[in-house]
Parts: sequence; C-alpha cells; structure tokens
Amino acid sequence: MYILELNHITKKFISVKALDRVKLNLKKGEIVAVCGENGAGKSTLMKIISGSDPFGGYEGQILMDGEEKRFHSTRDAEKSGIEMIYQEISLHLDLSVAENLFMGKLLRGRFGTINWKKMNADAKEALALVGLEQIEPTQKVKTLSTSQQQLLSIARAILKNPRVLVLDEPTSALTQSETEKLLGLLKGLREKGVSCLYISHKLKEVFEIADRITVLRDGKYISTYDTREATSEKLIEDMVGRKINVMYPKVCCATEEELLRVEDLCVPHPYMKDKNIVDHVSFTLHKGEVLGLAGLVGAGRSELMDALFKVTAEGVTGKVFLAGKPVTAETPKQMKAAGMGYITEDRKKNGYIGSASIMENTTLASLDQISNGKVLNARKERLLAQQYSDLLAIKAPGIDTHVVNLSGGNQQKVILAKWMMTNLRVLLLDEPTRGIDVGAKAEIYKLINNMAQKGIGILMASSEMPELIAMCDRFLVLSEGKIRAEFTKSEVSQEKIMAAATVVH
Amino acid sequence: MEEIKKGKPFRNITKFDQLGIVIVLVALVVVIGISNSNFFSQENIINVLRSTSYIFIIGIAMTFVLITGGLDLSVGSVMAVGGILAALAATNGIPLIPSMLIGFAFGAAVGIVNGLLVVKLNIPSLIVTLGMMYVCDGLSLIITQGTPVYPLPDDFKQMGQGSVGIIPNVVVVAAVLAVIGAFVLKKTQYGRSVYAVGGNRETARLSGIDTNKVQISVYVLSGIAAALTGILMAGRLNSAQPSAGNNYELKVIAAAVIGGTSMFGGSGNILGTLIGALLMTVIENGMLLMKLSAYWQSLIVGVIMVFAVGLDQYRRKRLGLSS
Repeated sequence: MYILELNHITKKFISVKALDRVKLNLKKGEIVAVCGENGAGKSTLMKIISGSDPFGGYEGQILMDGEEKRFHSTRDAEKSGIEMIYQEISLHLDLSVAENLFMGKLLRGRFGTINWKKMNADAKEALALVGLEQIEPTQKVKTLSTSQQQLLSIARAILKNPRVLVLDEPTSALTQSETEKLLGLLKGLREKGVSCLYISHKLKEVFEIADRITVLRDGKYISTYDTREATSEKLIEDMVGRKINVMYPKVCCATEEELLRVEDLCVPHPYMKDKNIVDHVSFTLHKGEVLGLAGLVGAGRSELMDALFKVTAEGVTGKVFLAGKPVTAETPKQMKAAGMGYITEDRKKNGYIGSASIMENTTLASLDQISNGKVLNARKERLLAQQYSDLLAIKAPGIDTHVVNLSGGNQQKVILAKWMMTNLRVLLLDEPTRGIDVGAKAEIYKLINNMAQKGIGILMASSEMPELIAMCDRFLVLSEGKIRAEFTKSEVSQEKIMAAATVVH
Repeated sequence: MEEIKKGKPFRNITKFDQLGIVIVLVALVVVIGISNSNFFSQENIINVLRSTSYIFIIGIAMTFVLITGGLDLSVGSVMAVGGILAALAATNGIPLIPSMLIGFAFGAAVGIVNGLLVVKLNIPSLIVTLGMMYVCDGLSLIITQGTPVYPLPDDFKQMGQGSVGIIPNVVVVAAVLAVIGAFVLKKTQYGRSVYAVGGNRETARLSGIDTNKVQISVYVLSGIAAALTGILMAGRLNSAQPSAGNNYELKVIAAAVIGGTSMFGGSGNILGTLIGALLMTVIENGMLLMKLSAYWQSLIVGVIMVFAVGLDQYRRKRLGLSS
C-alpha cells in the first residue's frame, strides 16, 4: 500500500508535453529521490503534486492511501498532508521569523489577540529542530542568510505535521555542514513515519538519503531503482540516454590562435558570504572556436559570463586577456569597444527593447556606424538594418515592427544581428535557443557557424546537451563554480558531462 | 488553427495617441471660439501662447526625463529658486547674462544631485525629486525671507516682457528649444540612448550605453529648463517670487502625459508635449473667457489626464508591453 501514488500523469503546455505518462509512488516512512536533467519535468511534477501548478489541469491520477485526489490549490494538498518546499524561497521577508512560521494560523489568546509569548516560544522549539538555535523568533526574515531562510521554510513545513514532504533542490543554497544537518533531519522524520520526495541532481546526497530513486527524462518516466542496487553510472545513463539528432550543421574551424584567456576568475556568491559562485576558473578560447560551457542550473555559467562582460564587477577577481592584452575595461561599454558581445539567457529581461523596432534594436550597439559625428543618419540606419534583417532572414512585416510582436526565434535573431553588426571578436552566448522552435534553432546554429568561420571566438552555455555537444569544439564542465572537467570533441559524451556536472565535493 | 497562424496585422497605434488629443484640442478651440469671439483676438492668442510656453519649456526637458522612465517633481520649486538667484544677482549689479548663468548653474546642480541619487543609491525618482521639491521650496523662502525680489533691472525686465515683432520672447525661446529638443531626441545618438534607457535599461547597458550618464543628464536638462523658465517669468512680472513655480511640476507632467509620453518610459515626443501644454492652457483660458467657475478647470484637466494615461495603458497592452 502506497501513501502516494501517481499514475500516467501527463501535462501539456499548448502543444509541448512537459510530462508524458509519468508514474511515481511513495510508501509511508520512505524517501524517494527524483533525478533528471534540467527540463526533465521534475519541478512540473512536484508542482502538480502540491497543487501549485499555476496553469492547472493535467491528465492521470493522483492517489493518496488508494483514494483519488485532485488538488486545485496548495491548500487542498496541505489538507491531505502534502507540504512542498520550493526551490525558490517563498517567505515574507519583512515579517518576523515567528510570523512566517505560523503564517495562516497565528496563535490566538483571549480576546482574539495574538499570543506572542506562546508563539515565540513555540517558534524557538521549531527553530531548534532545523538547527537554527541562534535565530531569534522576533528577527525579521530578511536579516537571515539564504541558507538560514531555506532551513526556516523547512521548519515551517514540518510544523504543519505533513505526511508527505516534497523538497525541490533544498540544498542548492546550503553549505556542506548545513546539508548534513538537513539530511539528518530528514532521516529523523523518516523514523517518525513521514515520507519524502527529494528532488536533486546531486547524486552524492541522493545515495546517502534515498531508499529508492526514480529517474525522469524529457518529461517521461525512465526507471526506478532501490538505492542499494543503483550505481551513478546507471543513473547518469538513464538521465541523459537519448540519441543526438542530425539537425546540427557543425563546421569545424577552430584554430590554435589564442583569443581570450581567463586566469583564476572568482565571482563572489550574491547571497552567501565567503563563498564564490565562480571559483578560480581558468581557460582559453581560440579564434574560430566554439567552446561549450556545460553545467547544471546554479553551476555558475551565467555568473561567469556576467563577470567576463563586466555586467557584475563587484568583488570579481582574476585576470582576463583579449588577444594577448590584459583587459582593463570596467563596464559593458568598454567590453563592447574591446570586441566582446554578450547574448544573455533572458531575452526579455536584458536582450531586446520591446517598445523599440527591429531597426532600433539592431543598431543599438553600433550607433557610431550609423552616425555622422553624433547625429544619426536615418538612411544609413535603415539600409544597414535592412541588410542584416535580410541576411538573418528575420520574419516580420518590416524592420519598423516592434520586437515584442516577433516570435522567440526572430527576437533572438534581432539580438544576434545587433552583435554581428559590432566589431565582434568574442561572443558570449548563454542558452542561445531557449524557448525557440526547431526550425529557428537550426537557423541560429547556422549563424553560430558563420560567425566561427569568420574567426570569432564563441563561448556557449547550454542546458540542452545534444545541442552543446553538436555545436561546440571543446567542452568545459562547471559544477559549484569550478571547472570539473574538460573534454575534446572526440572524447566527449553526455554521460561524461553529466558525471562531471553532478560531482559534489 | 488557421486564424491563430494568420495573426493580426501589425499596427503602429502610437501615431493615433496624439491624433485623439489633437481632435480634443481642435474641438475645444472651435467650441470656445464660437461661444466667445474674444478667443480669436490677437491679444488672447498671444496670451495663450505665452502661458503655454512657460509650461512647455520645462515640458521639453520633462519629456526627456519621462522617456528614460524617470520623473522630476522638483521643477516647480527649482523654477522659483532659479528666478530668485538670477534676480538677486542682477539687482546686486551683476550683468544680465552672468546673472542668468547663476540661475542655470543652480538648476544644473539640483539636476546632478537628483540624478546621482536616482542612479547611485537606486532611490525611485519620485521620492528623490519630491524631497528635492521641498528642499528648494525651503530654499526659496530662506533666501527671500518670503518677500519677492523686485524691482528688477531694465534689461532683466526687457528680456521677460519684450517681444520679437508681436511674438513674446518667451514664445520664441520655447519654439527654438522645441526644435532643438525634437532634433536631439529623434536624430542624435544621445536621443536614441534616452529612449533605450527607458525602453529597457539593462538591455541598453549591455548594448554599451552609459545608462548612468544618460539618466543623470536628463535631470540636469530639466533643472536648467526650470531655472530658465523661472528667470523668464521673473522678468515678465518684474519680480522673482518664492511662489512662482507653485504647481508647475504637475502642470508640466500633465502636459507631457496628455501628449502621449509614457510614464513607464521608452516612448514620447516633443510635439505631443506641446499639444498637451496647449490643451491645458486653452482649457484654462476658455473657462476664463466663458466666465465658468475656475473650480471646474482642475476637474476637466484631471479627467483628460486620466483618459490620456488610460489610453497609454491600453496601447501598451495591445503591444504586449505591460509587465
């Protein structure tokens, strides 16, 4: 008899299946780990279980104690005893620790007023459970570190006496000793009969804590193992095991000529003191080379690129050489002048200007090219923008169309055009095909090839491993801010990358 | 499925924003003109243009500020202090041009402080410039001890009261600045940067635009424009008064917003602000002529402004820009 049983859960986003007939089950007093790559469907599945899926609606069955349930809100799920602890912390930063712990069921005294004394005392006990003895219940949550906040949300969940606890990457913000404390706590809860779903791609933790391990890939159920029978090789094979398509028009044109050299680059963690999110990273990028940057979410890929382009500068240490000369630039403006370009992972946030036209977005980084002195030359601008629009085959009614009205693929092409127009020597590409349909992807790969053939060095990060492996000449694997492995094109495989990316030290 | 694939034809409804307001303006002019023949008298038209110019000169600079996604509430009180400082200098024997430069320098200094606070400390411009508004209000009273600076030297008066032919100086100044402003905004790299910063500051920064410099500069522009207006008005009235700029910040912002400049940044233009400023003055003037209660004036301006912002929101929704 299972306490929680999922049968044939299918979840569609418009026409894409995020989950495809997934099954999963959990016994009383058991910890089941759910493993998979980025985008395997882990978080979507957990959201359905906890009733917090913002779009609602799924096919399939959720059974609790053999009885079918359908959760329309987190409240529904909580009533059945399911508590979810999210990857992103969901606390009220301006309220006190105690208020957060008892949110929604503040302890009342006589006359219906809040019984602060009792609440703070109870809070103290709850904090001790998760090893936060040093925290005062009256402290505001925003004064807590990220890891303390993470532990606080766990304490909040435990206070509700759940039968099933769902944890989504709970240790991503925790230090080694805090992680051990958390694992110990979960083992204690298991003794008391609480069941756990534990999502993580850190295999070491999974092996330590889980009774069984379920692997998802591309939204599909792949396998379940008893932890005693499982090996990391087997798990990694299950997590990545898929065939590489042949839609990649890779042309190799890497040279031996050094273009960019990074020595000992460190970027401090934005929330955690004394921790680096990019930790002593060194590498070289050659002319015409596409260098792949692999790693799981939170490994420090985007932070590395931000630091290289001087988007973040505070506390960054290390040396960067461009064509042999040390880089002295301190702002993105100066980096652009030095010949670097950066296409970020989030187009809407900092890739394009939605209220501006294709033309205005295309010429934004090359205003000097379309000006006489500081005065814009409208004819020149139109001509040049049209030329690039044709070259990249941007599909739109015209170059005066607002960029918000374009499809993701065409928006990405506009951003590519913007950088191709500059005096580009090195391009940083973060998730270049995220949210883009298959046809446009192939066109973007072609453009990446064209740029490499012109001798531009490209540093490309991608969570889609087949894409990364096909498009790049050489590979660096980042995990917890450090380069864990380097592979050449001939020795690389998805399994090797995954093994290096999931290493925990 | 077919319909989804085809999609709607793209349409640039930005252009229609001003058309709506132009229609309102023309309709008002016609109605007022028919009901009172004095409206079209030369004297009254000159009057309307003069009043419009005081709002519009600051409005030009405010348009820049609003396009970057900022706001400057301090212009009204900067206008007063700028006028007072220049008038004090002039009455103490300093020649006209240096006196004016003192006023401009004050406006520029306030702009730099506003800009630095917005950019470096990341305080919302609403808060920064609201604070600055009170600071300058206080300054104007401290400097003058509440009494106006007057009489002013003849050349100072002449500057404010004189005219080129029948066109008052202030109107000429406004016209020249409007042409320069529109040119800078539409035809120069700086103008493009102003739009880019308001459209998406992070994208602009990553595209190599010095966003801090652009943001600070627009507050400097609005500070100088406010001081200039204060000086012109002091000359016109032959006295620099601590209350000279009362409510001007709101009139100026209303003019720009009615003219289609977005409070969210990224869009707007000088012509729209001119139409907005004209509309506000015509309402005020028409009511005076038609002997309607002045109390109604605020109400009508308010309705038009909310209507204009509503239109802007609607447009953003259509474009998919709303956050």
